[in-house]
Amino acid sequence: MFGYAQCRHEGNSSVKKSSILELLLIPALLTGMPGSINAQDAPSEETISFFKLNCMSCHTIGGGRLTGPDLKGAIERADEAWLVDFILDPKGVIDGGDPYAVELLRESRGVYMTKVPGIDRARAEKLVKLIISESLKERSQFAGLEISDRPLTDADIGRGRELFMGATQYENGAPACLSCHTVSGIGGLGGGRLGPDLTNAYDRLEGRKAVSAWLGAPPSLVMQPVFKDHPLDGEEVLALVAYLKSVAESEVGVAPVSTLKFVLSGFAGSAFLLLLLDFLWRRRYRATRRPMVRNRHHAAMGSKS
Amino acid sequence: MVFHLDKCIGCHTCSVACKNVWTDREGTDYMWWNNVETKPGTGFPTKWEDQESYKGGWKTDGEKLELRSTSKKKIIPNIFHNPSQPSLDDYYEPWTYNYDELFNAPEGDDQPVARPISMITGEPMEIEAGPNWDDDLGGSEVYAANDPNLDVLSDEQQQQMKAIERMVMFYLPRICNHCLNPSCVAACPSGAMYKRGEDGIVLINQDRCRAWRSCISACPYKKTYYNWSTGKSEKCILCFPRLEAGEAPACFHSCVGRIRYLGNVLYDADRIKEAALRPDDELVEAQRDTILDPHDPAVIAAAQASGIPDGVIESAQKSPVYRFAKEWKLGLPLHVEYRTFPMLFYVPPLLPVMSISDGDIVRSDVDELFAEVEKARAPIEYLGKLFSAGNVGKVRYALRKQLAVRIWRRHVTVGDVAEEMAKKALAEADCTPEQADEIYRLSALATWDDRFVIPPFQREMAMEMMTDPHEHRASAGFGSREEPRRS
Repeated sequence: MFGYAQCRHEGNSSVKKSSILELLLIPALLTGMPGSINAQDAPSEETISFFKLNCMSCHTIGGGRLTGPDLKGAIERADEAWLVDFILDPKGVIDGGDPYAVELLRESRGVYMTKVPGIDRARAEKLVKLIISESLKERSQFAGLEISDRPLTDADIGRGRELFMGATQYENGAPACLSCHTVSGIGGLGGGRLGPDLTNAYDRLEGRKAVSAWLGAPPSLVMQPVFKDHPLDGEEVLALVAYLKSVAESEVGVAPVSTLKFVLSGFAGSAFLLLLLDFLWRRRYRATRRPMVRNRHHAAMGSKS
Repeated sequence: MVFHLDKCIGCHTCSVACKNVWTDREGTDYMWWNNVETKPGTGFPTKWEDQESYKGGWKTDGEKLELRSTSKKKIIPNIFHNPSQPSLDDYYEPWTYNYDELFNAPEGDDQPVARPISMITGEPMEIEAGPNWDDDLGGSEVYAANDPNLDVLSDEQQQQMKAIERMVMFYLPRICNHCLNPSCVAACPSGAMYKRGEDGIVLINQDRCRAWRSCISACPYKKTYYNWSTGKSEKCILCFPRLEAGEAPACFHSCVGRIRYLGNVLYDADRIKEAALRPDDELVEAQRDTILDPHDPAVIAAAQASGIPDGVIESAQKSPVYRFAKEWKLGLPLHVEYRTFPMLFYVPPLLPVMSISDGDIVRSDVDELFAEVEKARAPIEYLGKLFSAGNVGKVRYALRKQLAVRIWRRHVTVGDVAEEMAKKALAEADCTPEQADEIYRLSALATWDDRFVIPPFQREMAMEMMTDPHEHRASAGFGSREEPRRS
């Protein structure tokens, strides 16, 4: 019931909340907890929205793990400098053989954390500070999307399919999934080929929560700028999750349209079009002299024989 | 303009003069702004008269005048390819020879040869056709046999035209007709084409031409050409730089047979539309009606009121074109049925029976020498199809008058024709002895000044008629005009 849009709404009003945040932070200072921060370090609105856009699809703070680990208490598992370095270059740290990083990779079933576009050291430090401060809260604003966990119905699947195919428009004007993605069982020419085939996306992301998180704020380089201004609402996310789940569960082996078939149908289509144009313009001018000479020769040869 | 076909010897000097002056550049090599065709024949480009294929000129239902090549309905479906244009092969693939190999070949057992090289691809090529491929009835069983104008003849007449010793041909030099009602101008979507106000020369603005090539389809005479190098269309400009300097156009000036006459006429532009709606057989007369008598005081007054300079009116009074086309009714427009009202008038060729082979004897008696025009070798129906949209009477009139002038001159100079008989012939041909002498003088003795009456061009004044120079004062500076070429 509480979609992503609502989360964003809260984000917008975070300035008002900063005073409350300060009050909450005072005990933290007194107890001398690591990552001590003072009022000047209160996370800016900009950092909060950065986190929402770039981190929330894989991480929660206190909402359990998605693709990536729950960041609540991350500072207890690794020190601040390590976190900053990891955010700056996740793959580098992992490939560098850092034992904790390798373990994280294993926990994430081999999914590398992506390097966030536009990240720099100052921003990474602010993010870590934000994680620390949010970890202290009873309930962080980043505890995850509040997507209803009611059972998925056939109606949800139907609506999800309509949204995927573009038959129903998204509330906020986001483009239909079909324009870039395909799934099995949509027949014909399949969907777009810019993005990956989503037939097994539900399995790949391991379940409802992660898929919801992804859809709530698509983090990929291509999707992020598109969906930044056109977020999906909670109901839409739920319907899509239901649809992707049903697709993933449907019988295996219904492969999406093969590339060969796609290319061949393209050739057939062009051939048909050319023949059609040739027919429509059948009375067009072609040539005068050559046919004239040829016909004459034919006639002459015919009369001789 | 008047071309006196009875005097054309088919030497192509005009074509060569024009080619050397204007179309000796890359992309224009296949163009012949002036060309000389043999009739019967298919001409250049091949079968240009076949408007079923090329869709040139105007068509009318008697109420509306429409371009045959395009219309509002046809524009969109044909937007990427303007149809009905001659292919390169219908013109010809221009070529040269690699003369270097001829002159610089090493010593060897074989005669060195120069191979034909395409001027388009630069590769050696097989020559299939040229601009005068059917010159002097060459390849006539293909080319002359396919002359679209032969349709009007019976099979018997066609066979006669092909028979040895009966065979007939004449030359038809062609340039842009600088029509009164030019379909090329009407078809241009860019508004690049215009008919010059002061002298009626039809021109293509090279800055505004956008290579739609609509003019090429629309011109029934196929006298606009596409320059594939600059991406602009080009056509005969009637050597206007020469005209403005008081010189005759290159093809006129170089004409060996002195068949060409140039002069201006005053015409009533308001009558053109009505004239173009008339049925085919009335078109010659309708066009003549648009041409006004420059001696008529009312016409002179109206011309002066329209701002036409006195010098132009004076030269219209001396114009040989007015005399041939309007006064003497000898000049006839080529294919007036295209309704563009060509301003080039042809004096049809007489082609009399000059001698008769009678067994072993060849006779050329006076009686036969000046036989009836119906006995002329070129069937009059054929000439009628070319020069009077099938109205044979107009051609017959012009031929009989020419014949009468000859009989009269035979009487005057040789004296073996009785005056009575000569005068009778003149009277029958609607001609007086004075007129006959005039016709003779302008046909046979005309000097440069008689043949070319070039009006004094007053370019600055002409410009002021169309636009007020003060309007652009202080608003336009120096600038570079765009060179016509592909970007």
